Parts: sequence; C-alpha cells; structure tokens
Amino acid sequence: MNTIISATGLSKIYTRGAEQIKAVNNVDLEIQSGEFVAFMGASGSGKTTLIHLLGCLDTPSTGTLTIAGKEVFAAEKSLSEKKLTKVRAELFGYIFQKFYLIPTLTVKENIMLPFAFYKKPGLHQDAVTMARRLGLEHRLNHLPKEISGGEMQRVAIARALINKPRILLADEPTGNLDTKRSDEITEILHDLNRGEKLTIILVTHNPLLASHASRKLELRDGQLISE
Amino acid sequence: MPTISSIAYKNLRRKKLRSILTLFGIALSTWVLVSLLGFNSGYEQSMDKDIDNLGFQVLLTAKGCPYEAATLMLQGGAGLRYLPETVLDSLRANPEVDQLTPMLMQTSFDPNQGESGGVIAYLGVDPTTYPKMKSYLTFEQGGWFTEENAMEAVIGYEAAELEQREVGDLILIPDKEIEVKVVGVLKRSGTQDDGTIFMPYKSLQTLFGQEGKITSVGIKIHKDVDVSAYEEKLYALQDVQVVSMAQVKTTISNLVSTAKVMVMSIAIIAILISMVGVMNTILMSVLERYQEIGIMKSMGATTFHIFRLIWLETLIICFIGGILGALMALGLSSTTDALVRYILPYAPTGSLIKIDAMLVLKSIGIITLIGIFSGIYPAYRAASIKPIEAIKSSEGEI
Amino acid sequence: MKYFKLLLLSTFILVPLLLNAAVGCDLNDPDKDVKRLFPESTGYKAVYKSIKQVGGETLLHKIETRLGDKFQGLYETMDVPYTVYIIYQDKTPVGYIHGVNQKGKYGGIQVFLSLDNNLKIKNLYFQKMSTRQGEKLKSPAFTNQFKGLTLSDMAEYDVKTGKVNGKPGDIKSPAAAVDADFVSIIRAVKKNLILMDEFF
Repeated sequence: MNTIISATGLSKIYTRGAEQIKAVNNVDLEIQSGEFVAFMGASGSGKTTLIHLLGCLDTPSTGTLTIAGKEVFAAEKSLSEKKLTKVRAELFGYIFQKFYLIPTLTVKENIMLPFAFYKKPGLHQDAVTMARRLGLEHRLNHLPKEISGGEMQRVAIARALINKPRILLADEPTGNLDTKRSDEITEILHDLNRGEKLTIILVTHNPLLASHASRKLELRDGQLISE
Repeated sequence: MPTISSIAYKNLRRKKLRSILTLFGIALSTWVLVSLLGFNSGYEQSMDKDIDNLGFQVLLTAKGCPYEAATLMLQGGAGLRYLPETVLDSLRANPEVDQLTPMLMQTSFDPNQGESGGVIAYLGVDPTTYPKMKSYLTFEQGGWFTEENAMEAVIGYEAAELEQREVGDLILIPDKEIEVKVVGVLKRSGTQDDGTIFMPYKSLQTLFGQEGKITSVGIKIHKDVDVSAYEEKLYALQDVQVVSMAQVKTTISNLVSTAKVMVMSIAIIAILISMVGVMNTILMSVLERYQEIGIMKSMGATTFHIFRLIWLETLIICFIGGILGALMALGLSSTTDALVRYILPYAPTGSLIKIDAMLVLKSIGIITLIGIFSGIYPAYRAASIKPIEAIKSSEGEI
Repeated sequence: MKYFKLLLLSTFILVPLLLNAAVGCDLNDPDKDVKRLFPESTGYKAVYKSIKQVGGETLLHKIETRLGDKFQGLYETMDVPYTVYIIYQDKTPVGYIHGVNQKGKYGGIQVFLSLDNNLKIKNLYFQKMSTRQGEKLKSPAFTNQFKGLTLSDMAEYDVKTGKVNGKPGDIKSPAAAVDADFVSIIRAVKKNLILMDEFF
C-alpha cells in the first residue's frame, strides 16, 4: 500500500468579523491507496471542510497537502487553478448529498459530462457499461426529473467514476435518500472499494455506511480526536 | 456524448419563454438596424433618382431671365432674355454633357382673365429631346407632339383642369388669335410641370417672332462629372446664369439629416436595450446554475470552458435573433418604408429602404458582435465561480 | 436663386397635399371681389360643398336631370368642391356669390353669380374665359340680360343649344362668333342656380 494523500498541519481559517474560525485546525493525516475512510462528527465539526480540502475543492490556509506524490498546497501557495482542475479531473470523482445533475441532459449525457471538458486519453469508458454496472441501463435516455432519487445518486456515482478516478470523495452520499436507497448506495460503494480497490473518502452520519469503512476518523472543532 | 455547444443549446431550451422573449428583443433591434442601414443607402439612391428625374442637373439661362413659368407670370411676363440657339452647338462640344434640351419661354396677355387681365406662359420644348429627359412625365390622355413645328400643346394636369381641356380640345393664344390643339394632358407629377402649357419651341419661335432664340437650355451631364466644377465652366459663357439641381439636393439633405439623426438615436437606444436584455437573461441563467457550473468545474471544466459555454449561449440567441430580425426587415420593408415616410419631412419617390445580402450579413454581424460584448460579463461571472462556493451555497438545502 | 429653391421645395412639400383635391372655383381676391359684386355687403363667409358630400350619386342624377345634360369629361365630377360665399350685411345674410367652372371652346369659363336670398341673380361676373370676343361677352349689354332672373326663368333653356324649345329665348347671344361660348354660359348659369338650389 502506498500513500495517496498526505496532509500535515492542514488548517482552514475563516474570518467572520473580528472573530477567526478555525474550521479545520492543524490536521495531520495520511491515507493509503485503497483505503475506505469515513469522517464522522457533529455538525460544524469541520469534517466537510476537511474533505473539501483533501479533494482539492477548497484551498487550505496553512499546511501542506500532497496528492499522489504531487504537492498541491505548500508554503501557503496552491497550484494554479488550471493545474488544480487537472488534478480534480484526473484523480478525483465526487459525489454529494445533492446530486447536481444537469436537468437538461439525459442520464447518459450526465454520466458523460466530464468528457465535454476533459478528454483523458485511453480512459474513455463507455457510459453504457458504467450504467449497466449501476443498474441504470434502462434509464439512459431519461431526463433526471424522470428518475428516482436513488437512481439520481447512482447517475452521480457513474458520472464520478467515468473518468476512472483514483479517489472517490463522497459528502453525505446517502443524506437525501430513504433507507432502502441508502443501503443500495452503501452496497455500491462497498463493492467499488473491495472490488476495484478504489480509495474512498466520505463524510456520513449513516452508521451502516460508516461500518464498511476500513478507518473511521472523528472530528471535533476542526481537530482529529480519534482514530 | 455531450459537448459544450449541446449543453449551451439545451440550456436555452430550458427556459423557453425567457429565451424567446430575449430572441424577440434581438430580432426587433436587428429589424431596426437592417431597416436603418437599408434606409441610409436607399434614401441616398432614391434621392439621386429623384434629382435625375428632374431631367437635367443644370439649367442654363440668359442672365436675368426668369427660369420658371411661375416666376415669369408673377412678373407679369416681363423680363424675358434670350440666348442664341447656337449656344447649343458650343455646349454640345463639352465632354461633360450627356444630353441637351433647348427651351423657349413665351407669354401672352389675356384681357379676359380676372378684372384686369392676366399673363399666360408657354414653355416651348423640343419634342425629340425633352420627353426623353423628363421620362417621369406620363400622360393622363394623349401624348407628346411629334412635329417640331406643330401647332399643338401638351398641358400639365392642373392647367388642364383649370382650362377644362382634354385631348382634341382647342386653346387660344390670346394675343395672336391662334388656335392650338391639345394633344396630351399630363398626369400629375407633383412638380411645376403640372401648371405648364408645353408647345414645340420651334412653333413658339415662329408664332412670337423669336426665330433662332431660346430662353434656357436643360443640361444633363454625365454621372461621374463634378457638377460644381462644370457650373464654374459654364459661367465662362457670356451673360448666362446657371441653376443647379445639386443645390436642391443639398437643401433637402440638410432638411432630412436632423430626422436621420433622430432615427439613428432611436436605433442605438433599441440596440442598447436589447443588449442589456441579453446580458440580463444570460446573467440570470448563470446565477440560477451556480451549482451546476460549480460541479462542471469540479469535473474538469476550466475557466475557459465555462466562459465558452456561457458565451455560446449568448451568441446562439443573438445569431438566431439576428437572422429572424433580418427576415423581419425583409418581410416588412414596405411597412417600414411607410413608417419612415411618415416621420421624414421630405421623402423621395421610389423605395426608401434598400436591403441587400451584404447589408443583411453586416447587420447580423453587428448584432452578433453586440452579443459577444454583452456575453462577456455573464460569461466572466460564470467562469470565476469556484466549485467549492457553488457546492457550499447549497449546504443545508435539499 | 433663393426664390427658386423655395419654390421647388414648396412644390415638393405642398403638391402631395393637394393631390387629392379637385380644382374648385374661388374668387381670386375675395375681399375686393365681394365688395364689387355685392356693394351693400359688410362681410362674408366661405363654405365648401360638393355633390358627393351633400347627396352623392343620387343627387348627381337629380342635378343632371334638372340640368338636362350629363356631367362630362375629366373635370366635371361629383367631387369638385364648390365655394359658396355667404354674404352678410351687418349680421344678416343677404345673399350668395357662387361660381362654376364651365368648359368653353378655348378653355375654362368661370361664371360667378351674385344672388339674393331667393337665389335671384343680382350680378354676373366672368372671372376668366378664353374666347375670341371677350369684350362682347363681358359687356353690360350682354350680362345685364341675366339680372333679375331666377332658376325658373332658366329652367326652359336647353343647355346644349342655348335655346328654348328650339327657338331663341329671351337671352340673346352678343355675336355669332361666340355662339359656342354663349351656350356654355347658359349651361354654367343654369348649373350654378341648380347647385345653389340643391345646396341651400
């Protein structure tokens, strides 16, 4: 196993008026390739901000962050927006509590959306294969408004995976779904981690989903308190 | 496989009514623009044609001689001055001259007009050259005299109406007790010709004992000749005066330019309004899609990609609107014509609005360019969205 | 030069406005002419009437029947505007002046009649005519014959011959040379009176 994410002294500080809020406070963390890491914690504990930092969606205030051997943030300087975009597109897939599907595009087009911007040579995976894996093959030509919430999240997952990312970042992926759909998503994520050795980093309140994680980390006031 | 253009296109169809309204706004301003540009060229052409219709650009008369029948009648028929007919030969030698037509004005006193009598004016013209030059003169009845010394007359509509003359009727030259047969009654032309009695100038020369004399020469010069320069040249002749229609054109142009400026400003305002409309529509759609755009950026869309996406939406609207507006301008050109005619103090006859392919392309180009400009800000706004902000903005929402 | 420009411009601008108006028959200088034709007048008002506006096609036929002749040619149409000058003495209307444009042998003859309130002819005036012997037609010896006549006196005249039942009537032509003009004048006077009778 090799380290895919390495963070030292990672902090994110917001200024609200005269007050400084340390959303993420001096976090040291190493995540190995193929790990399934679940961040837990109360609302406002900083877990979402932390995974946004790890996923290069947000820039830290201080610390260093290395992803797949590439220094993304160091000495209070981040990579250029263009390079960050490349890192995000090549290494990460994202899913969120909300599905963020483009309402005017069909399921198939939504799955293939990354290819509209980013053409990763040799990784042009067939959307149909992806859809079949996620049980969406009969929905390919439907618009998002015509399918269920669980299906929407599966479309989001398919879209996140189409580029063959090395890390899947999931922020409350089951937060909007009922128990049955949540379990389906949990199952899918579990399979991806086990079967394809995909690194998964997620934030969840769902105990079943968390139970599949190989490592559970808890945050409080922006700091890691247990491992 | 989605492409940036298909995403842009599909997005415009999302809010159909909004897109259509914006499109319509663009179409309207294109219509105004095409019509105005068409007007600018059409007006100039029509006016040139009108001036051309006056027959000759330059009228040469003996110095001090009144050159219109109306003036002559106001002066009680006095003050006629003559040029020798030979002046025609020397004029003909000028390379600038395209066509010439000699004219002889004569008056006769009629004691039976009003209380104390009145003056009747006759314009002697050359049956071979005059009708050709004044080709816009058409006949209510009859036609031009054919013999160059026939005792025949052609009467302008208003004069004919006053005298109740029709083809075949007679008129009497009071002083001379001579009967002249009416062979033609002109249609109204809206010019001083309406009140004129025309006769062959040779006949008038004989009748009034003015053999070898004329009062004026109408000169049509070649199109590419500088009228003012030629006028100067004419003054080298002894005892002549030169009346140029070019001055009339300037006068009318000045009269119209004010109206033109007004119409132009309306067009600019219309274009500005539609520009703001486009900007507003696109900006609104950017703000509505904040999260979508954020998510695209998290999936590898660069600032440039997003900029292109939004810009493309603007361009599509403007381009389609432009084409629509151009079609509208073509279809409604006669309506526009009537509208402009209503606004302007003086409008020449003939089509005021000339729309050709080049002009349509130019207008669509201008509108598209305007689209490009109005798309810059919304596209810039969209491109500078950070993925995290877009995602955060939805925190707590379902 | 300035005058010419102005003339040209005004014809450009004014003529289209006049395009639809047929030529009527107005006094050249109403103030002076009214005073001369109606010496006791102190004022006048001009009103405009046309057959089309007063009674249309029906009225036209009626007038043609009364006249004993059709309206003819390009210019004698039912939309010709007739100017009637209503004459006042102080504030009381005392009569009318009305002219018609009649086709004559060599041109239009404008025949004005001044009439009292009962449409009896007080005076006759040719504002214009084109003829060989205007002198004779304008002489009082000829024009005085019309004074005191009314429409009923004119009713029997045939406007195509100037005669009554084929014989010369009371009104005599001043010379054989102008017989054609004489007939025209008879027609104009009769038409003038019929129009006035129909209009008022």
